Amino acid sequence: MKELEKTKRISIATTLFILAVLIGLFTFKRPKNTFVHTTKNTLEKISNQNYLTSISEINNPKYVFVDIRSAYEFEKGSLKNAINIHTPDFLADGNLKVFKELKNVEKTIVLYGKNPEEVNLPFLLLYQLGFDNVKLLTIELDYVQNSLFTKNSTVEISKNNIAAFINASQKNAGLQTKITKAKPTRKKIVVRQKKKKAAEGGC
Amino acid sequence: MDKKRFAKISSFRYAIMAVVLILLAGGLVILPKYEKNEGISADQLLSNIISLERYVSADDISNKLITQDPSFILIDVRDKESYGKYTLPNAINIPLKNLLDKEFEAYLNQDQYDVVFFSNDNFYADQAWAICNRLSYANLHVLKGGLNGWFTTIINPEKPSENMPASAFELYNTRKAASMFFGVVYPDQAKINTVVKRAPKKIITVKKKKRVAEGGC
Repeated sequence: MKELEKTKRISIATTLFILAVLIGLFTFKRPKNTFVHTTKNTLEKISNQNYLTSISEINNPKYVFVDIRSAYEFEKGSLKNAINIHTPDFLADGNLKVFKELKNVEKTIVLYGKNPEEVNLPFLLLYQLGFDNVKLLTIELDYVQNSLFTKNSTVEISKNNIAAFINASQKNAGLQTKITKAKPTRKKIVVRQKKKKAAEGGC
Repeated sequence: MDKKRFAKISSFRYAIMAVVLILLAGGLVILPKYEKNEGISADQLLSNIISLERYVSADDISNKLITQDPSFILIDVRDKESYGKYTLPNAINIPLKNLLDKEFEAYLNQDQYDVVFFSNDNFYADQAWAICNRLSYANLHVLKGGLNGWFTTIINPEKPSENMPASAFELYNTRKAASMFFGVVYPDQAKINTVVKRAPKKIITVKKKKRVAEGGC
């Protein structure tokens, strides 16, 4: 009888244990959007691969342009055939579906915005979420008389040589700090020669 | 009868428990996949990306540098070569591709100092920020405009035109003074130093000619 009680206790403990584990498993929620790439992978990608594309490749049939600006800006003017997905809505269900579909049909998602810097981080986010087919369009958008103009833009170009500028300024100033000795101008002193007076006097 | 059945079950009760535990252990296989999701969640990262709080202006940084604020470290994420040519005072060079190297972790993963990333513009700096932000490192900032912006606002500030408000002139003067701090010398500043030595007056004594006694008796 004592033996029986012992097994009872063991079985109760087992069921409780299993129950706890099951509850844990069912209530465990995976975050909806998980990263596919680690930070290390991402860093490798951005330092090795070419993810930039310029406006000259705009006619590539594989490209699908995604405008990341707000709907208002998009309405004002956008690239031809572009779709609008505003950055804050990237992770909304419908938009993720669009990205996934584009990936499945092997199209390249080309993001663009007001300038490349604005697109930079949304691009990075999409890449980390596993969309390897994302590229970044290096253009700047501008409005001239209510129509949209695109301008090719560059990224990470050092525009000015600051060290040279500072040196030049010091050099220029250096020339002026030289103490300029004013040359003493020769004074011409004309000594009037006295007219030789005729011998005077005399008796 | 009852006792017999119970005994039957209890005879392989350990086997049952073992099977359950093995099944649970199998669950661990799923976990490594999840481990890839290091750092903060995607939604959190997105909201951090949208927020522009990370940017600090060149004016702020120059002010901090001049007042010798000890609370921040500057990190240059450009390559070594550009770092060698010019960088901000006391900046540390961590090329973007080496960002996650072990030797640099101590600079980034700490909460004593504000970390300010900069590059030529804020493209690489933003990327460095995003990666560190995902790893939930604290106090990260980005220099808005990068070194190009630094040049146009601090090193070579644009002179305000005459019809601009007085505040623009004040700002210009502050920036100009800051640029002097960072080594730029202005011609008008140099003028103050110029010492023009006056030519000593030459004294020319004109000797009077002694008149020869003339005439007389």
